[in-house]
Amino acid sequence: MRGLFFPLCWGLIFMLLQTTIFPRFLPPEMRPNLLLILVIYLGLSESFVRAAFLTLLLGALQDVFCGSTFGLYATVQVAVFLLVRLISDRLNVESRRLLLALVGAGTVLQAFLLGFLLTTFAEAGPVLWILLSNLPLQILANLLSGWLLLLCLLKFQPLIGTRQGMAGLPYQSKHHGA
Amino acid sequence: MRDFLKRHQIPLLITLLVLVVGFIYSANLRKKTTTTFFERAVLTLTEPLQNGIDRTCAGVVALWDNYLWLIDTRQQNVVTIKANRELRARLLAVKEVGLENQRLKKLLDFVEADPRKVLPALVVAEDASSWARTIIIDKGGRHAVQEGAPVVVAEGVVGRVIKVAANSSRVLLVTDASSSIAGLVQRTRTRGVVRGNGRSLSLEFALRNDLVEEQDLVITSGMGGVFPKGLIVGEVSSVQRNEFGLFQQIELSPVVDFSRLEEVLVLLEPEK
Repeated sequence: MRGLFFPLCWGLIFMLLQTTIFPRFLPPEMRPNLLLILVIYLGLSESFVRAAFLTLLLGALQDVFCGSTFGLYATVQVAVFLLVRLISDRLNVESRRLLLALVGAGTVLQAFLLGFLLTTFAEAGPVLWILLSNLPLQILANLLSGWLLLLCLLKFQPLIGTRQGMAGLPYQSKHHGA
Repeated sequence: MRDFLKRHQIPLLITLLVLVVGFIYSANLRKKTTTTFFERAVLTLTEPLQNGIDRTCAGVVALWDNYLWLIDTRQQNVVTIKANRELRARLLAVKEVGLENQRLKKLLDFVEADPRKVLPALVVAEDASSWARTIIIDKGGRHAVQEGAPVVVAEGVVGRVIKVAANSSRVLLVTDASSSIAGLVQRTRTRGVVRGNGRSLSLEFALRNDLVEEQDLVITSGMGGVFPKGLIVGEVSSVQRNEFGLFQQIELSPVVDFSRLEEVLVLLEPEK
């Protein structure tokens, strides 16, 4: 239960940050997508069933605050999670650089999926052009946020107690075997 | 059966997951202005938090701007005094026009075209994505706000309500890529559809033969039934007429400064 509660709380905090604090100081294209980072992190460190359930809930949570069609981000986040899961068995998930590289790749993949779904199934006008023009700054903002979040996690993890399954940390992942 | 489920647990879960999200997305594609139970619950739960954070941030920013960062204040004061004098002179002229307007209205037995009530609301949050343009306001179903209600400010159109919770609502801004409004060029009466481009707007399906010029104002035409007629949407910033084709390409700059939106007005349905 704790394993579900904490990621959901973090998801909610990230959403509040993205909807209230970031818009005051950052233009839209510079606002990082913290939930994407959380989903990638969960995909690398949690068990499949728990991570899948959390991804679905976090995607639905993001849908409440993004765009106009409920289910869009749930679909996109689940797709990102499944792809992360698919390749994570072939990569060294202990590497911090890899985690950041996955955040960058996840941002590109998310933009592609959003563009595809919005232009194929919904009449969303010039959304593809908006997504593409925002992409370089989005990647930069997400990489910077991912790096900062990882630094915070490394700094505060000894205080909140260690647990297995932390991607990018010197502890062996539970999913990938101790 | 159990063995089969156990052996194929992951592929089955993936299939189930894909089917669930596919179903949720497709079910909501045509119901953009329907608020689901989940959305209503999350919006209701987060509204006090967003309101609290917004007020705290506004307080901190006000403290910084009003008491600490006063470097430009003197210069602004001089400019303001000068502008104030000019505006006072203009105000006298406007008063005269207002009186004349009243007289003419009386003569024409003018009836207020839009009997809707106006509900002031505070903007408490913005869209969490980089591509969509929505805001969250602190008024909802309890204040008689309904999906589809137009949202305006003194300068012009802001957007329309798409999701309603008890104490908060989400508003789709006119600059969002999925927003479209029936518009009218004020001077030439050219009709078209105003679409959002993220930051700016464009007027589509405006006939090529109509001579629209830069700085012409575009207003709502009242078609479609969402927005009342005559609200300002934007100002023409560029016009491109090709040698062939039925329509001209018109770019608009919004009259509302969406980056500084703090208070808005929701136009409520008239009581029956």
